Order: sequence, then C-alpha cells, then structure tokens
Amino acid sequence: MFSFPLFKQTVKANGLIWVVLTAVTAILLVQFAVLEMTQNLLFLIFYGVMAMLLPAVFILISSNKLFASQVDRGSMAYVLSTPIRRSKVALTQMAFSVLTIALMFVITTIAHIAVNANDPLSLELAGSGAGITGLTGDLTTEMIVKVNLSAMVVCLAMSGVCYMFSAIFNQSKYSLGFSGTFVGVSVLANMLAMFGSLGVEALENFKYVSICTLYDYQSILTGGDDWIIKGAVALAIAVVTYVVGSVWFCKKDLPL
Amino acid sequence: MEKENVIEVEHLTKDYKRGRGIFDFTFQVKKGSVFGLIGTNGSGKTTTIRHMMGFIKGDSGSVRIVGMDAWRDAAKVKKLVGYVPGQIDFPDVGTGTSFLRIQAELLGLKDFSYMNSLIDRFKIDITAPLNRMSKGMKQKMAVVAAFMAQPDIYLLDEPSTGLDPLMRDTLIELILEQKAEGKTVFMSSHVFKELEDTCDEVMFIHNGHIVNQVKRSQYESDPHETYSFIVASEEEYLLCREAIDRFIQRYQDGHMECWRRHRHHQFTVALPTTRLNEFFALLSQFTVSKLGSEQYSLEKYYTTIIERREVA
Repeated sequence: MFSFPLFKQTVKANGLIWVVLTAVTAILLVQFAVLEMTQNLLFLIFYGVMAMLLPAVFILISSNKLFASQVDRGSMAYVLSTPIRRSKVALTQMAFSVLTIALMFVITTIAHIAVNANDPLSLELAGSGAGITGLTGDLTTEMIVKVNLSAMVVCLAMSGVCYMFSAIFNQSKYSLGFSGTFVGVSVLANMLAMFGSLGVEALENFKYVSICTLYDYQSILTGGDDWIIKGAVALAIAVVTYVVGSVWFCKKDLPL
Repeated sequence: MEKENVIEVEHLTKDYKRGRGIFDFTFQVKKGSVFGLIGTNGSGKTTTIRHMMGFIKGDSGSVRIVGMDAWRDAAKVKKLVGYVPGQIDFPDVGTGTSFLRIQAELLGLKDFSYMNSLIDRFKIDITAPLNRMSKGMKQKMAVVAAFMAQPDIYLLDEPSTGLDPLMRDTLIELILEQKAEGKTVFMSSHVFKELEDTCDEVMFIHNGHIVNQVKRSQYESDPHETYSFIVASEEEYLLCREAIDRFIQRYQDGHMECWRRHRHHQFTVALPTTRLNEFFALLSQFTVSKLGSEQYSLEKYYTTIIERREVA
C-alpha cells in the first residue's frame, strides 16, 4: 500500500523546503543551547515558539502540495492515469508527511542531546527564562526526548488537519485558506499565550484557541504527567484527520 | 462477426445543476475502432472522459471498460488505458526526463525503446525544465506519457491542442498506427479535420445531450459536394429554381439539398459526386456568374445538425 515512485515525486517537490527548514530549526536550537546569553531563553523562545512555528511553515506549504495543488493544476491526472489505487496515493502522501515531521524532530533531538551531553544545562537557568521556579539539577537526555516527542505529536496533529483540508478541497485557495487560518491562528495564539506565562495574565487565555496547547514542555521540566494525556489527544486528532482526509480523497470526484 | 465492445456507457447522467453536466449518455465503442466525440465548449466532452477514467462517479448509469466498472475498478482499468488529459500541467519534478522516468516507474514500464522513438518523432527536448516548456511542448510530453506503454485503450481529451500542423499530422499518424495494431481509441476534439482523418464513428454532443452518432460510411455517403453559384438575372433565377426543383424531385432519395437566396440570385446545392455530370449539364443552360465548391465535411454535417436543433 505504498508507492515508491510517487513517494520519490513528492520528495522532489517538497525536499528542498524540508531541508532548509530542518537546517534552520537545528541551527537555531544549537545556538540557543550553546550561547550563554540565550540559554535561559531556550525553552521560552525556542521550544516555546520556534519548535511549533518552523515545522508549521513546512506543514502548511507541503500539505497543500500533497493533493489540493496537484488536483487544482491537473497534474494529479498523471499519477492517477497509472494503475495505482487512490488509497495508495493517500497512504503514500500520508507516509511522506508523517515521516518528514518525525525525521525533523529526530534531527533536532539528536542535535540537542549532543550539545547538552557536552555541557548540561542547569534546570534552574532553563526554568527561570520560562517563568518556572524551584527546579534543581540538570536537563537530562530523557527530558529532551520527551519535550521533542510532545512537540512532534502536536505537529503531527497540525499536519493531519492540513492533510485533511488538502485532500478535501479541489482548489488550492480553499485548502491553503483553511490550513493557513488554522495553523496561523494556532501559532499566533501560542505566541500570545507565551506572554501570558510571563505574567501578562490577560493573554494567558489565548492558549485555549491553539492546538499548541497540547504541547506541554513545562510539565516535563517539572516532572509532571500532563504532557502524556495532552499528547494522546494530539495523536488522536492526527489519526482522525489523516483517516478522514484519506477516505474523503478516495471517494470524491476529481476534476482531472 | 460482431466485434466486442471495449467501452460501454449506459444511461450515464451527471447533473452539475443549472443545465450543466451530461444527461443519459448511452453508447458503445468497438474494439479496434477510433471513436470521436465532438461538441462545443462546455458540452460535456471532458466530463464523459473523466467518467471513463474513474475520476468522477456518475449520478446514475454505468461506464464499463472491458467489462470492468470504471469507478470501482479504476486501478485495474488503468493497466489498459493511456490518457491525455484536457488540462496539461505536470507534477513538480523538475525536468521532462525525471517526469517521464517517474511516470514509467508508476506504469511499471521497463522497455524504453518505444518511448525514445516517440520522443524522437515528436522532437521533444526532454531535458528542459517542465515549467519552461511551451504549450505545444507540454502537449507532446503528455502524448508521449500516454502512448509510451502502448496500452490497449487510449482516452484522449483534445490531444492536438497547441500542436503545430506538422505535429498534428504526426499525432494522427500515431493514432492510425495504434488502430492498425488493434488498439481502441476514444478521443474528443473540436477540430473536425482530425476526427475525419481518424474516426470510424463520431458522436456529436451539445449542452450535455447526445445529438447524433454517425459512422464514417454514413457521412461519407451523405451529400458529398456542395456548390454555390449565382445566376445573372431575375428571369434566370426563376427558371433555374424550377429546373433544380425538378432535378431534386427526380432523385428523391434524400441525398440532395438546395438552399436559395432570392435577393442575391444565389443557390447552394449539396449532391453526391455521382450526379455531378448531370448537375453541370443543367447549369450549362444558364448564365452562371460565380461558382464555388466546398467539401461536404463532417463540420458541415455538424453545424447543419446544430443549427436545425437551435431552430427547433
């Protein structure tokens, strides 16, 4: 149920933007983690904002290209004029979007672990920037893995929603419009909520309109379990949206 | 012996509302034949072909390709089908070379000799970036992609769009070659000439309805030549009118028609080539001031039908 030639085609169409965004993410992370000046902002700025924003840009651009743009332009006709089931097309595109996001986080995780092993960050310093007090000890590899895992499942949920819009709409403008609004509002509200956690309480409530709320690095740093339940919700959203998108794509009329 | 039907469309209806769509289409395409679909823009040509490709599902009725349901068994059907879409835009994969390579992989094509011969024939520079290709070049790429695996059935949606006259001839040659090998071709077009050159049967559609279906033998035996002429005076016009009426009455087999324009003293007569001598003998009795001929073509056949329909 996976088409390698189609996968190759999708990689060709989206590979460059993935490489660029992954590189930018990894470089930013390393910079935040290594420079003394920015170490206290690693969680607030990088994990709080960038770890959502940069993957979101990739998700937004690539998911539109998975279906909607190809149907809109008519180029999907070439893929579907070969003996390939629509379900196979859907699964291959799904595999692409899941794998690219997973790989993105694997790379940032490894980068962070490598940097952190060399010079472990004190949790007191890390927490102070993010408005969390009373932490002791150093940032562990386990914590890094958990934080990235939590971020990754939320990105998968975002990607699932965008995948679904791309599969449902035959025109790029609708697919991009819905996905863009969803991703834009989520990322923006996440940023505003960040100021909330810094003490501007009026902005705190913005977290309720953002899917990024399901990503909870604070609970990981403080040793809580909240992130697991939230992650499970994000994963459920991802599964549902991927399935709805795929089924919709298999059943709809295609103007090709 | 009756040849088997490769494509069977039965009572196919797809209603897009506000009078758009296709309504109650029923027709068959025989194995080894070239079937033409002709109609004005928006008449339903592309919609018909999309049903055959399993891209859209009819509201009612069925489309069967060698016995398989075009929607449900779409993936299986496509093993047998080559498709030139009406809208030409390629996947975002860089050059023509990588497009054809990926396409070949999707088709499971291993032998590239035929593909290369097509590329030579159509004079395509496949190393060019796809998004820089001209309309005609893109069309030729699409033709190569559809023909390279030499499938049994071709579904071509206005395949000659954007091609120069030489390349159009090459395409017609290619279609006839494939037909000679027993392949079945279903093509839509609004260029009558290419349908005349290739098709065994032509179906006319208008505003989503089948208007008429003619076999090659039928339109070829129908009034074949059309002559327009003008006689010198009013007196001659009246005499000529009588003479032609008598001439037509003598052959009441419906193969002759005459249109008149009194004010210009003009006649237009459609008649089979076998009656030409008699016709000219008749003409020689009058002072003809102007004479012109036109081929009685598929186009004439079509426009006459549509005009009659709009009047009725």
